[in-house]
Amino acid sequence: MGEALIARQSFGNSCASVAASQPALARGAILLPLMDMKDETRGAILDCITDGVFAVDNEWRITSFNRAAERITGVVREQALGRRCCDVFRASICESACALRQTLDTGRPVVNKTVYILNALGERVPISISTAVLRDDTGAVVGGVESFRDLTLVEELRKELHGKYSCEDIIGRSPALQRLFEVLPIIAASDSTVLVEGPSGTGKELVARALHSLSPRRKKRFVAINCGALPDTLLESELFGYKAGAFTGATKDKLGRFAIADGGTVFLDEIGDVSPAMQVRLLRVLQEKVFEPLGSNEPMKVNVRIVSATNRDWAALVREGSFREDLYYRINVIRLEMPALVQHREDLPLLVDHFLGKLSRLHGKDISGISEHALRVLMEYDYPGNVRELENILEHAIVLCRGGLIQVECLPQFLRPVSEESSRPDTSLTLRDIEMRAIEEALRGNGGNRTAAARQLGIDPSTLFRKAKSFGIALPEADGRSRRP
Amino acid sequence: MRIAVADWDGFISPVFDTARRVRLVDTDLPADSETLWLELTEADPAKRALRLSEWGVSVLICGAISRPLETMIAAQGIRVEPRVCGSTDEVVRAFREHQAISDAFLMPGCCRRGGGSGGQRRRRRCGFGEKGE
Repeated sequence: MGEALIARQSFGNSCASVAASQPALARGAILLPLMDMKDETRGAILDCITDGVFAVDNEWRITSFNRAAERITGVVREQALGRRCCDVFRASICESACALRQTLDTGRPVVNKTVYILNALGERVPISISTAVLRDDTGAVVGGVESFRDLTLVEELRKELHGKYSCEDIIGRSPALQRLFEVLPIIAASDSTVLVEGPSGTGKELVARALHSLSPRRKKRFVAINCGALPDTLLESELFGYKAGAFTGATKDKLGRFAIADGGTVFLDEIGDVSPAMQVRLLRVLQEKVFEPLGSNEPMKVNVRIVSATNRDWAALVREGSFREDLYYRINVIRLEMPALVQHREDLPLLVDHFLGKLSRLHGKDISGISEHALRVLMEYDYPGNVRELENILEHAIVLCRGGLIQVECLPQFLRPVSEESSRPDTSLTLRDIEMRAIEEALRGNGGNRTAAARQLGIDPSTLFRKAKSFGIALPEADGRSRRP
Repeated sequence: MRIAVADWDGFISPVFDTARRVRLVDTDLPADSETLWLELTEADPAKRALRLSEWGVSVLICGAISRPLETMIAAQGIRVEPRVCGSTDEVVRAFREHQAISDAFLMPGCCRRGGGSGGQRRRRRCGFGEKGE
């Protein structure tokens, strides 16, 4: 709206007074005077606005399309003009509840309606839209104008805050993930317990959240708890809650995660780390669907779906007796395996694109992409930390990158090819420095043997002696010929 | 082969995720055979994908489609021809003839490889500011 104010003020007091007196006026209506201006002037002003703006005629063909509209939709102006607006805009409401159609039918503007559009990559871009009618001098309707604001950053911040992820956040087209997408909806529709296995950083919690968002329980809570991070006593009170007076400091009742998630899903992460005593309590919850809060004898019914995750070797845990076999079979009704990132390396470019977009928005950086060389370096790495490690690497790169393309130099040190580092000449050194360093390294590498060091450097031993003396390099008293490197 | 074409008033529906009707065409049958229509009432992407599979669809021709939905449909073994626009009749006629959709029917700003012509932060650029690519 700040950008719209700039547009309003440039038209003088009439516009500004309208804006001041009616702060809720649609962005589209405020921009109406622009439509009466000469094309060049109007175009220049519209291109300065960070909201997308486009106009259509009575045939729903696009007649105006500003630069922000290009950026948000991903369609260049020349390709948009003259085309049906629904084919360019691709909004979720085009078919069923087009805001412009509603405005043209009723004459009333739509203000700040939140919808989404699909860009050419199949990504949902959340936007808020406002509309207004365009009329000629006689008052006849000649079309409509729509302005829209990209809410992607707001949506991402909301996701980070509330953890409301869905299937759209699982990125990948590889056969491994195709298989996952194929079974996810079917598993989600059932109420069976699910065990998600896979190495650390592969997105096990993301899959659990996707299962929840696809399930009939989606309107209820998704509650996650890391069983490995808490000692038994804390874990018990977190999961089951407690009554006032159950222990010192329990001044009032507290609901546990199972009660909070009633009707929804509980995600038990690192369940392989749970103690035998806690395993007994969890088994009762799964078998009898009841639990008692700490300090209470009253059983509480529980109606949750349990999704568990672990990166440990189940067979070994059960064999050693660290994990109860009966509990294992209760939580392992359906098993999903998350592959390590190296097993679906072909998804790396998609993941890189996704994280670059997300992280550059969060950091407010204008990153246009990644160089081919940097991408090649990323493709060759094995990612022991999997997708989480990839995200960390890219965040490091984005912080260091000043803008434009991510180059190899922005990647963490350990990723940069060694040959790149050693072959690049250090232009801050003088010839004297380079010679001094070479002599010191040759002497050190040959155990003080001046003859061997001179041979390595391709110079006469007397030359080495003379240079070492002039550089102030301390030569060993014995020439080190008895010491082999 | 049975193809499904997302239709809205005789044109390809712009967004398949919210498309309400699909025209089913059996390419093995003559062009003037009776048209079958499938009403898509499910908003859930998984159910949409399953519905197409239940109806024996081999190819889906549609407008813009979200990536997860496209992946779910592809996971059902259905070939997806996305980002198509224009008259449904013309698109069906073209597909009957060539078993594929030509670039002439692509949505503005889209290219055949599934990318876009825009997007500030995409590694692959396919036209945005680079005309003719």
